[in-house]
Amino acid sequence: MEVGSLHFHCRPIPWSPELRRRTKPTLPRFLFFFRASSSSSNSGADYKGPKPRRDWVADLVSNNDDAVRSLPIYVGGASLLAVLLNRTVSGIAPVADASSSQSRADLLALGLAVTNILTGLVWLSIRPKPISVVSPEGVECQRIYSHLPDSVSSELLWVWESLSDVTCCRTLIVVYDSHCILQIGFAAKSSNGDGEPVAVDSVKLMQGSLYQNVIKSGAQSYLANLSLYPGKSELPFLPSNTQAVILQPLGEKGVAIIGGDTIRGFTTSDQAWITLIGEKLDATIAKNLKNLTLSAQE
Amino acid sequence: MSNLLCSNPLIQFKMKIIPAQFPAKKSTMKPASISSRLQNSQTPSNQQLNLSVLRFTLGIPGLDESYLPRWIGYGFASLLILNHFVGSDSATTTPAQLRTEAIGLSLAAFSVLIPYLGKFLKGASATDQATIPEGTEQIFVMSQNILDTKKEDLAWATYVLLRNTNTIAVLISVQGALCARGYWNIPEEASRKNLLEWFERQIERIGLKNLKDTLYFPQNSDSVLWELLPKGTRSLLVQPVLQVPKPGANQMEGIEGFVLLASSMGYAYSDRDKAWIGALANKFGGKSL
Repeated sequence: MEVGSLHFHCRPIPWSPELRRRTKPTLPRFLFFFRASSSSSNSGADYKGPKPRRDWVADLVSNNDDAVRSLPIYVGGASLLAVLLNRTVSGIAPVADASSSQSRADLLALGLAVTNILTGLVWLSIRPKPISVVSPEGVECQRIYSHLPDSVSSELLWVWESLSDVTCCRTLIVVYDSHCILQIGFAAKSSNGDGEPVAVDSVKLMQGSLYQNVIKSGAQSYLANLSLYPGKSELPFLPSNTQAVILQPLGEKGVAIIGGDTIRGFTTSDQAWITLIGEKLDATIAKNLKNLTLSAQE
Repeated sequence: MSNLLCSNPLIQFKMKIIPAQFPAKKSTMKPASISSRLQNSQTPSNQQLNLSVLRFTLGIPGLDESYLPRWIGYGFASLLILNHFVGSDSATTTPAQLRTEAIGLSLAAFSVLIPYLGKFLKGASATDQATIPEGTEQIFVMSQNILDTKKEDLAWATYVLLRNTNTIAVLISVQGALCARGYWNIPEEASRKNLLEWFERQIERIGLKNLKDTLYFPQNSDSVLWELLPKGTRSLLVQPVLQVPKPGANQMEGIEGFVLLASSMGYAYSDRDKAWIGALANKFGGKSL
């Protein structure tokens, strides 16, 4: 559910609503020094600022999206009929000339009605298409390379938490320095029937074209509809029905593979955030593993 | 103050305010506790948005077509009024004409309202750019008595927030460390050295440190109360940083601090932006200094 603004719980502070609407820029100083009597463990006083008003127009429009989109058409159409009806009822001949001031007023009203109808049509035509989520087929797994320092593993877990909470990401794999240091989320079930998630073959991945292209260009690669790409075969560890994949290079030595459950599920803002998170992750890993060589054990 | 309007509403421009370089890496390794599974504060919607590709445009650069109904509304309303007073004598105005003019004026009022309603529809993208208010200066201050890793985290977080959202000023206060970046109105008496104390005093006055819930003011109504914010602020978002309770420990959720974002655009933060900002705030929660 979309919420335009968020609530702030009431505090026992006598803050009268009229004061908020005053246009004077300064308020008497004493108003800022009310101390709440609630027991807070921190030494500072409780929050004394204004609380946000509930934006009912935004909520109304967001919740009744379809109805609002066709509203201008109804308003314009009804006004059109009203103008014509007015003209016939008043006994004036329906001639569209600008000679009398009545006709001019009618023409202006008609012009406005047509504008409204066109706006309604535009809104209906740009209605976003809802795309459904495809649940990934596979098993959940959480594999972290065991010799990572705490700061790196906590950073990796934070990245996973953020991505899975905010975006449609359902799988996250981080490969760095020829080792898979993180595989978390859904993974394809391995074919030998033991129900274990497929492990990431880093060496094979790094020889594949997807990885090479991403490292060479240094830019993020967004495969919005994975089923259309032949490079899908290079990612056998992802669930077979993964819909979208982002490959984010981590410097020159690693890549983060982010699998989502919706076609074109990652917005441009998500992509921008993932790019910057990738840079931070690269910096953290590089800094902490400079003195530590990754051993060949898995 | 220039206000650039994008002619293609489908591309969202973000203003790159500070092309800061990533701070120099230092080799300190301090073990930090691994954050436990965080509570999902926002249920993901089951449907993702896919904007359709075609949109009618006049092709004039700098002209925003979604505001066309508003201009038509104003223009035709003024023409209607002109017609009423100039077109004929007031004595000969018929009731029919008055009815038509009433219909016309109410239609014009509705047309003027249309861009405002259109902003809340799904798929509406912000076409304004964030503008820098006059009289502000660009600052970047940070508490000095904290770990280098913490400094890097704060520097990176402020950089990301300024770069990826429509923010002009950001203030992060967490576990006693303070970082302010962006365009702020600094009063004359606060010199560079005691800028941090000035921020601390303002924060104490408002009591932001004890904030438990996210505050979002999408319009300008209340920000005049806060001397802290730059003058052209129109949206304000304050996200508290809550301490993650360790698994197995029986402690209440404490408040670690807050992240404050100010923008010169109204309705600057979409739900997706707020979700990302919440995720960023979680980075600072649950870590010990």
